[in-house]
This record gives sequence, structure tokens and C-alpha cells, in this order.
Amino acid sequence: MIPGPSSVIRVALMILVAVVFQIACLVQIRVLGGTADITPLLVAAVALYAGSVPGAATGFFTGLLLDLALGTNLGASSLVLTAVGYGVGRYREQRDPSHGLTPIPVAAAATAAYVLAYAAVSFMLSIDAPVSLLVVREMLITVLLNALIAMPFFAITRRLLRPVLLVEPGPRARRDSTISSGPIGLRGLEV
Amino acid sequence: MYDKTVRRRRAALLIFVALSIGLLTVYFGESASGGLHAIQRGAQEALAPIEEGASRAFKPVRDAINWAGDVFDAKSENKKLKDEVAQLREDLAESQTAQREAEQLRSLVGLPKDELFPQGTEPITARVIARSPTSWQSSIQIDKGSGAGIHEDMPVVAAGGDGGGGLAGTVTSVSGGTATVTLITDESSAVSAQVMPDGAAGIVRPTVGDPSDMLLDFIEKGRPVSTDTTVITSGTRSDRFESLFPRGIPIGQVTEVDAEERELYQRVHIEPFADLKRMDFVQVLTRRGVEQAQVLVP
Repeated sequence: MIPGPSSVIRVALMILVAVVFQIACLVQIRVLGGTADITPLLVAAVALYAGSVPGAATGFFTGLLLDLALGTNLGASSLVLTAVGYGVGRYREQRDPSHGLTPIPVAAAATAAYVLAYAAVSFMLSIDAPVSLLVVREMLITVLLNALIAMPFFAITRRLLRPVLLVEPGPRARRDSTISSGPIGLRGLEV
Repeated sequence: MYDKTVRRRRAALLIFVALSIGLLTVYFGESASGGLHAIQRGAQEALAPIEEGASRAFKPVRDAINWAGDVFDAKSENKKLKDEVAQLREDLAESQTAQREAEQLRSLVGLPKDELFPQGTEPITARVIARSPTSWQSSIQIDKGSGAGIHEDMPVVAAGGDGGGGLAGTVTSVSGGTATVTLITDESSAVSAQVMPDGAAGIVRPTVGDPSDMLLDFIEKGRPVSTDTTVITSGTRSDRFESLFPRGIPIGQVTEVDAEERELYQRVHIEPFADLKRMDFVQVLTRRGVEQAQVLVP
């Protein structure tokens, strides 16, 4: 990502819109007893297209805004989403995934990591009440729903980030086929 | 060059993790009037108009999608439900929205007419503008705050799915124009309660992740508790430990009594009257009120 005010403002606006949309609208749309959660999707998408450091920063500030807006334990969401952003960013830097369907497994893995890690942090901090197995069902449904909306969500995020990205994400360019005509010395070589 | 990049990356991760842990530590260490809590209240105040606007703007979309979800669920149920879904199809999403809001408000208005409900509570009706997305912390935000006379620890009631309604939670944080309500399904919630009419007293605690099933704990074995009986807030009169809730607010209905031989107490399952999954409006009771009927406590 190109460092500068343009990148910061662009990502900050995306975080604000995603958090407000999540807590004011999406959380009340229940499908099969669960809800989609676009906050880990945003962090994963930014990390996938921009790398580990922007991913971690996006995770931290998304979690911070989420906790500030909801009055929940300040720092808990930041901690988890920072790790999610960094993890997805490192995956991109090490593997450089180019398959068109990459957003689906990335979204599912990022959401699963987020809900599990958030549950673990909540347990460590304060949970003292009995826990229903329905929580597991709700987590699974959130992962499934996020995987379902991953393709359009990542496409929108990519489009919004494109002007500030150093490297244009997308499928690798296909190699030219070997030539079979021309000077004998060049035949069979990739040119 | 490579080492520099790696060092920079690791430093960034360390800084963000350290900041998060620092925030958590300070937040848990300070009182409710501390700096971070004040910043949080300020942020809530600033975000409230945006949240309210978004909540209103997307309400038709939410209702349409929820309606579609209801149709999907109904396919696996019996013919009666299918007929109801077919009937629902004929209604416009807009009229359904208006109807649902009107029903909730009507239930809330009618709630104080319950024979046990404490009188003189002066309820303030508020719109729900945001809610927590996780099951671990159940809280909502409402569009009224200290400017409307709302303070911390005030009880909050909500309408039920089939009319009526009951206790929804308590106000835990207030700013000028908004307030945060911690629901009775939050893991930190504990409400002193009584089973009507015999008066067996216990503590209502949530089952995290299942808002339709709560536990009434600490009912001694041998105390008769039957299903379908009503559970209300018991309130306490002690000067030292006065309950946050006035006596007589309906909480829920007993659905199952589980008396295991080895346990000292019975585990009584109750279903809350308030529809905590789909709340558009709630009422904050700004005065303690006067209890209407006495309960026979053996």
C-alpha cells in the first residue's frame, strides 16, 4: 500500500462504514439463527491486498472502533483483529495466492479465527455463566455466511483500495507460449 | 533491506498487540468514571447520530431479509406455519415494519397495567440503534441518554413476541444522547427473582448463546415449582444491598424444572417474556415505583 494521507483516509472511511453498518444493520439480520460479521472480512480483505502491516493496523483500529461504539471491553476486539490482519497479510506475502476463489477460504479462515479467538479472550476476561452449545452453531453460521458474501465483499474492497495499492492484485500474467518458428536457435525457447 | 522489512513488520505487530493489551489492562483497572470509559462514552455520543441514521435507513432491507429468513425456516415446519407465511407474503414490507413497531409500542404501553407491575415508574420509550454482534457480551444502544433523564442502573423493559413483555436489562453507561443497556442475557447479568404465586426466590442467570433459555438458580430442593408459572423481579428492601430492579417486573415463564439428586438446588429453566432478539423499542423505568401486590413468602 502506498503510504500517505490518501491511504489512511480511504481505509479509515472503510472501517467507519463497515463498523456502523455491522452494529446498526447487519447484526439484526438473522439467517438460520446467526448473523454475518463483516468486520473480520474487512480486515482480511485489506490484509490480503495490502499486506501484513496494513492488515494489522486495520485490525487494530477496526477493533478499537467496535469496542468504543459498543461499550465493550476496550482492547479485546483490537487484539484479536490485529492478529487476524497480520496472519492474513503474512499468508499473502509468503504464498502470493492468485486463484480467483482465494477470498472464500481466506474469509472463512479469518472469520473462524476471529470468533474462536474472541471467545477465548472473553472466557479469559470475564465469562462466568453457563455456555450453551448454540454458541458453536452461531459461530459456524457466521463463518458460513461470511464465506458466502466473501467474493462480492472482497471485490468491493479491492476496487476501493486499488488507487492506493503498490501492487495490483489479481491473477498472474500467463506466460507466452514457446515459439515454433523463426531462427532455428530460438525455437523451443520462451521469448 | 530484507532484514529491515522484517524488523519493521515485527515492530508494527508488537506495537499493535502491546497497545491492545495495554488498553485492556487499563480499562479493567480503572473505575467507570476513568479516562478510557469517558473516551468510550464520548465516542458513543459521537457515533450515535450515524448509527441511528443507518439503523433507520436500512430497516426496510433488514425486515425484508428477516422476512425471507422466516420463510426459509417455515418450510421445515407444519402446514399451519406455511399458511401463515403465505399470508405474510401478501403484506408489504413497509406495512409490516409499521405494524411491528406499533405492536411493540402497544405492548410496552400496556405492560404497566399488569397486576404485579410496579406503578409510578415513569417509563421513557427509546429506539434501539445498535447492538453487540457477539453472544459473549449482550448489550444494546438506545437513542436516549442523560438528557432525557436516564441514569445508570435503571431497569429496562421490552415488548414480547406475542404481546406483553418483560425485563430486558439495565442501563450500564449513559452519555448525553445515548445509553448502553446490558441485557439480562449478558454473561455478567444476575437478577434476584421470585416464582409466582408461591414466592420461591432465586437468581436468574443467562445461558450464554441461548437468549430463550435462562436459569433460575438457588431454588432449594423441595420447594414446589411448576411449569408455566410466572417469574418476576423480587427486589430487596435491604439498605445495604438494595436490588437494581423494583419488585414485580415480569421476567419470564418457567419451562422446565430440573432437580438432580446430587445438587443442593433445583435448576429452573425459564423463557424470558421480552423478545430480546428483535427489539426495536425499549422502555427505561426512570423511577423505582410502588409495588402493587404482595407475594406470600413462606
